[in-house]
Amino acid sequence: MEKWKKPDESRRSFLTGVAGAGALAALGDVLAQAPAAAPEAPPPGTIPGEAVKAEKVKAMQFHSERPLTGSVPAHEHDFDVTPNERMFVRNNLLTPMIDINPHRLTVKGLVDKELSFSVYDLAKNFTTVTLQGMIECAGSGRSAYQPRASGTPWLETGGMGCPKWGGVRLADVLRAAGVKPGAAHVAGQGGDPGAVATAAPVIRSIPMQKAMEENTLLAWAMNGEPLPWVHGYPLRLVVPGWVGSASTKWLHTLTVLDAPFKGTYMTGSYIVPRNPIEPGQKMPPDAVSAEAWPVKSMITSPAPNARFKRSEPIAVRGRAWVGEGSVERVEVSTDEGKTWRPAQLARAGDKYAWRTFTFEHKPERPGYVTFLARAWDDRGNPQPAVPYWNPLGYFWNGWHRVGVVVEA
Amino acid sequence: MRLRALAAFVFLGGFLLSGNAQDDRLISGRGATLTENKCKICHELQHIRRTPLSRGEWADNLRNMKERGTPMDEAETAIILDYLSTYYSRDPAPPPAPDTLASGGDPIQKLLNASACLGCHALDKRVVGPSFREVAAKHAGDPGAAERLAAKIRTGGQGAWGVVPMPPNSGLSDADLKTLAGWVLGQK
Repeated sequence: MEKWKKPDESRRSFLTGVAGAGALAALGDVLAQAPAAAPEAPPPGTIPGEAVKAEKVKAMQFHSERPLTGSVPAHEHDFDVTPNERMFVRNNLLTPMIDINPHRLTVKGLVDKELSFSVYDLAKNFTTVTLQGMIECAGSGRSAYQPRASGTPWLETGGMGCPKWGGVRLADVLRAAGVKPGAAHVAGQGGDPGAVATAAPVIRSIPMQKAMEENTLLAWAMNGEPLPWVHGYPLRLVVPGWVGSASTKWLHTLTVLDAPFKGTYMTGSYIVPRNPIEPGQKMPPDAVSAEAWPVKSMITSPAPNARFKRSEPIAVRGRAWVGEGSVERVEVSTDEGKTWRPAQLARAGDKYAWRTFTFEHKPERPGYVTFLARAWDDRGNPQPAVPYWNPLGYFWNGWHRVGVVVEA
Repeated sequence: MRLRALAAFVFLGGFLLSGNAQDDRLISGRGATLTENKCKICHELQHIRRTPLSRGEWADNLRNMKERGTPMDEAETAIILDYLSTYYSRDPAPPPAPDTLASGGDPIQKLLNASACLGCHALDKRVVGPSFREVAAKHAGDPGAAERLAAKIRTGGQGAWGVVPMPPNSGLSDADLKTLAGWVLGQK
């Protein structure tokens, strides 16, 4: 799948730009380069699923081909920072192949002056930022809901990741355009094409307060590399901690609005009932937009059914995160929830980055041992054993459970 | 309108791709072919098969898909909703056999159901293709019509009634084809 690779030279120079050192010279280099000839794609102008898969680890499990969706199971996600080749894939439409050079971001709507930027303009004109932040599909964990909910059957621990993002603050760009009084939401529109000409564009809006938050980015880098095609090359929103759909990929237009955007990706999807409903019922009329993820954790080591000697302590490791606020503590139970003991929580990093936790268990007898993880946020919310059911299967954050075998 | 041209290309590409997935099918029944054809434009049919829903949820789902751009009119939506909430129902009751549409074991109904004719055709109104009555009227008084219609049902085709192609029905025997063609031509 070589032909889907972006030019290497462009990658390197661009990176230097993100790092800040010699940014102008490096950016000049990039601008001087002709883009690689656009390879033919079936369908034209899009990246085939095979090319996306070729950039991912073998452990990635794909749930559907059209649209392409896939993620790695928890024990293949035992990293402090999610590597690009393990980041989950979830498109609403097809993966577009966009040339970075002519690509423009337009900022319009309730602003003093409409602005248009190339990705290089953004890097040149605003402070570049690198931060680690969670992106998690609203439906992550959906397959754990009973009865089954409609949508991609994400594993209990699939459909999320925590890479490092590089770009500029959305707030800085909005300030440059001048936000007018009455601005309430900012809508991001992506350039992903549908299979039919009538396909609705993917547009989601986020409240002004979240847009102006210092961790909300216009990003072009992921773990120090240009965004992979499927993750939004050449530019995307990163709204860390919130449902993934807020982080519009292939971003080309930002519109400042006086109210939430009205469109199918706001009113038909990414909504949850205001109050819990009976499982299996349809969405009630008082649904609200899905925004920040509740507190959640997963055990990333050991792998399910791993074998241990009775004499060796078992190192349990995992990751914990929350969409707003902070993770206060993580507990582990080895008796199916009867008692809980505190895990060691690594020092907090970036605000929306997941935190690694560790827990050592000395087996007392041979047989089967289970580990349950439960994180608490700073507002006193623990993960529930089983979260409330909702028709679209969003926000699964039940306790993650991993069992291992202790040999005699 | 480069984008529009691109989208048209993508659309055709999608059609060709979906042609490769011959085994991606839904339960046979009234509306199955129409449902398959509409849903496969954008996604695999496993999205339907793996999650049975209530009628209300299917209605929400179809409205959502329509908003997202599925080319699907109200009559088609109604057929697809009936189909999905019959054969992919969250309710514990087993789906009725495909030929409950007919009273008893009418051989014509069995043929129509087995070949998914009713996904695109109805007796007296246009669905995707012409109504059986329109076909009968077109060929009224033509002595060679039965033979030509039998051949058309077997090989499928495009152009006589519109741009949406009719898929071939190569699995039907000569006798079944003759029975079906004769029945269609008798619907006046």
